[in-house]
Amino acid sequence: MADLSNLAGLGSEPSGEIDSSASSANNRSLRLAEKERRKGEADPFGLAVKYLSQVEAGTVVRGNDELERNMVVVETVALSKGLPPEVITVLLDLALSLNAGTTNCTRVLKFLIPATVVPQEAIVKGASWLCVGKMPMNAQVLFVRWVLTVFDLIDCKDNLRSIYGFIFSFVTEENLCPFICHLLYLLTMREHVHPYRVRKLLDIQAKMGRQPFLTQLLALYKVYHPDLVTLSLPSRVRTGFKNHNSTWKVALSAVQRKNKGAVLVDQSLSLDVKEKPSTRKRKLHHLAIPPLSSAFDSNSNKKVFRLQELRSFKELLENIHNIELPAQMGSLLGSALALHYLDCVQDESASLRLNFWLGHSLQEEFLLCPVDGSSDNTSETCRFLSTILFSQQFLQEGFSSTESFLYKFLSVWDGCLLRPQILDLLSDIPLMPSFYMHKLLFEPLKQLYFTSTVFFKCSVIECLNSMLVKWLTWHSVSALEGGLDISLNSNSTMTMTLSGFMDSVMELVRFVGLLASEGLRLENCHVLLLNQTLAFYETVCDMFLKYSLPLIIMPPAGVFYPALFATDSVSVDRLGYIMYRYRKNLTLAKKQEQQREQTFHISRNTYKEFNRNLQAMVNSMWNSWWSIPGSDIEIDKDLIALSKVAEPWCRFDLIHHPALFSYAIEFHQRIGKYWNWYMEFLFNQGFDGLNNFIRTNTGHSSGLSSQDDRQPTT
Amino acid sequence: MALLTPYSKVPELNTATVLLVENEEELQSKLANALVRNENDFNVNVRLARKLPLPVENKETRPRIDLIVFIVNLLSERSLQSVESSLAHLHSDCFLGKVCFLVTDGRCVLRHVTLSVSQTADGVNAAAVRLLNILKVSAGMSPIATTALYLSSLTRCSVTSELEED
Repeated sequence: MADLSNLAGLGSEPSGEIDSSASSANNRSLRLAEKERRKGEADPFGLAVKYLSQVEAGTVVRGNDELERNMVVVETVALSKGLPPEVITVLLDLALSLNAGTTNCTRVLKFLIPATVVPQEAIVKGASWLCVGKMPMNAQVLFVRWVLTVFDLIDCKDNLRSIYGFIFSFVTEENLCPFICHLLYLLTMREHVHPYRVRKLLDIQAKMGRQPFLTQLLALYKVYHPDLVTLSLPSRVRTGFKNHNSTWKVALSAVQRKNKGAVLVDQSLSLDVKEKPSTRKRKLHHLAIPPLSSAFDSNSNKKVFRLQELRSFKELLENIHNIELPAQMGSLLGSALALHYLDCVQDESASLRLNFWLGHSLQEEFLLCPVDGSSDNTSETCRFLSTILFSQQFLQEGFSSTESFLYKFLSVWDGCLLRPQILDLLSDIPLMPSFYMHKLLFEPLKQLYFTSTVFFKCSVIECLNSMLVKWLTWHSVSALEGGLDISLNSNSTMTMTLSGFMDSVMELVRFVGLLASEGLRLENCHVLLLNQTLAFYETVCDMFLKYSLPLIIMPPAGVFYPALFATDSVSVDRLGYIMYRYRKNLTLAKKQEQQREQTFHISRNTYKEFNRNLQAMVNSMWNSWWSIPGSDIEIDKDLIALSKVAEPWCRFDLIHHPALFSYAIEFHQRIGKYWNWYMEFLFNQGFDGLNNFIRTNTGHSSGLSSQDDRQPTT
Repeated sequence: MALLTPYSKVPELNTATVLLVENEEELQSKLANALVRNENDFNVNVRLARKLPLPVENKETRPRIDLIVFIVNLLSERSLQSVESSLAHLHSDCFLGKVCFLVTDGRCVLRHVTLSVSQTADGVNAAAVRLLNILKVSAGMSPIATTALYLSSLTRCSVTSELEED
């Protein structure tokens, strides 16, 4: 090297002084030197890595400019683009072996951002350096936290699982314990749970107290081997693990966002997925699984089919008895095949892990990170929530972690951020005892509802309607399976009696009644809000006939009268339908009670209320006399006379009602004055609800064929 | 001590005045712009302040204030302290529906929050709309007689003990 550089130095002088006979050899050496120099300039990163890989133990650090220079080069590349796998191995080795000193150890760990994957050999080697025991405690903690942060990017976890015992031995270190427990939680498989390990954890718990990370790990052990872990653990452990990725979070997400196109996404679970799998860090399906040419390794005894490798439903059915779940449970969301499997197998450990991951993501990524307002962030969150929605709707059941997240989020929600997704998730909430409903659900909703626009009010009523439908459907399905005590969902241990269920439903219906009547008043009986409310009461009126729930609740006056005197015909028709259905439900209930078939009892007040409403409606629409003395809407005669309206009594009947008046005029223009013909004309306009109502309550048929009244009442 | 009273002045015709009190002055101007930009049936005056008590010099020319909004930034403790000290300068009658609290950057669980705002542009607009709804009622312009007190009773959050959430 030395003579080449000398030649290069000679070559830079004017060539006149060089011997011509030696010039060709000089030129070739010059060219080589040029090439070498250019290569060095073009790849400082490669050179830096090469240098760092050759750093030996005992190298002087302080004042070592060359080492510092190379570190800076690698650091800048790492923080901008991320590091390729081989470089990670080299750097991790350098750091953990303490060849470059302890300060450089922590420094390297802090900028060790992977670009694509992390080879598992690097981690295994790192674990062996941990066992050597020369690293200072903060470096050890930093290393374990780093492993947790890049856990999703490790290509294969098999070797890590084989050294489970070694990793487990670090559980006794007090500072490392929380993070080691978290790592073990991610790695544990059934075969790792042994009595001596359980005993060790219990010993540590006795010393340290009931720490959340220990409880979480023990809960997972209990799921795999309930016989070995006998202590009682809370059924739903909340987020038990400390936040570990704060040091790398920003840089890692920046690098991944930059490398968006290049990041590997495994597509093997993409059957039936409604949308493209996002490249978001935590939702990455298993990166770079070792591809098995045949699913079964003929040499090993364990014939395990990995869930990622399934391609069709048929394959799922054939191999359903020996499927291994991926380590990253989040990747199961959004894949119909995986959800099928989860639903059939009812593996408690799987649902525990899935719920934990979901709760952790929602809490850390969503609730606690500041919303920076970038549309990128919001659309990513939007897609994430839509995937959760898809999974919940597929399973026809909500996850418990989304439920807890929603309760926390509702109290800080501004009603605008991600509104459709949040309201849809809200409607998936399972049944809860009526005591909790007020504090968790009703109070925050009330605050948002009464100060928002009319469209938000409509959305809320629609959401509560769909929640009610889901509760009722779930009840009618589980009631068929017998017994009065029903468990709330397949994962919860809370049970509820029929009367408790009826209480909750009653609370919900009353709450919606309050929202609707006050909302209609504030919004001046806005037609959209009125229609949403009536849609809700269409569900409520049929609770007995459709869902076999012996509960009949009448709409409050604040809903009934705005609908009766509404200026649009659709509302009036819907009201007619609702009253017609109420009548059917009540007559059936009465008949069953009289025949003593059932043990429930509809109170007299309900009948009285219905009769009052019915009278009001029939009197105003049919008998042309709406202000009956003693009714809710009695107005003093003199006051009505002041309005100077001619014939005030018939102003709300079928001809003069503001909603139907235009039809009357049209009829009159077309045909003439015949009453029957008018009725037929009116109901030909599609007012089936009103038709049924008039027919059943006044016995007057318009001559149109009726749908179901001819059939015997069941 | 001069207290800010709700009913000591006569209201102007078809006008509502809202006072935004914020220590940091970050969200104030954005919110004020959003409030004024909205299409309203009535005139909206927005006055800004950092804290109470308001300067004595303007006392005569200041119109009647229909709604006082305290903006609290949950990430800054000084913001909360300044609001607490300002509250002492309000007449107790104001709390019957003329006062509203707005929080930003709130991500932990809160119990007595009235309104929360996320800092996005949409969030600010949505918050402005909601404030206008409340303002309409407290200025007495709601078409169907709803008083500010009634509205505040509807949106009231009851004091709760720590609930065992499972």
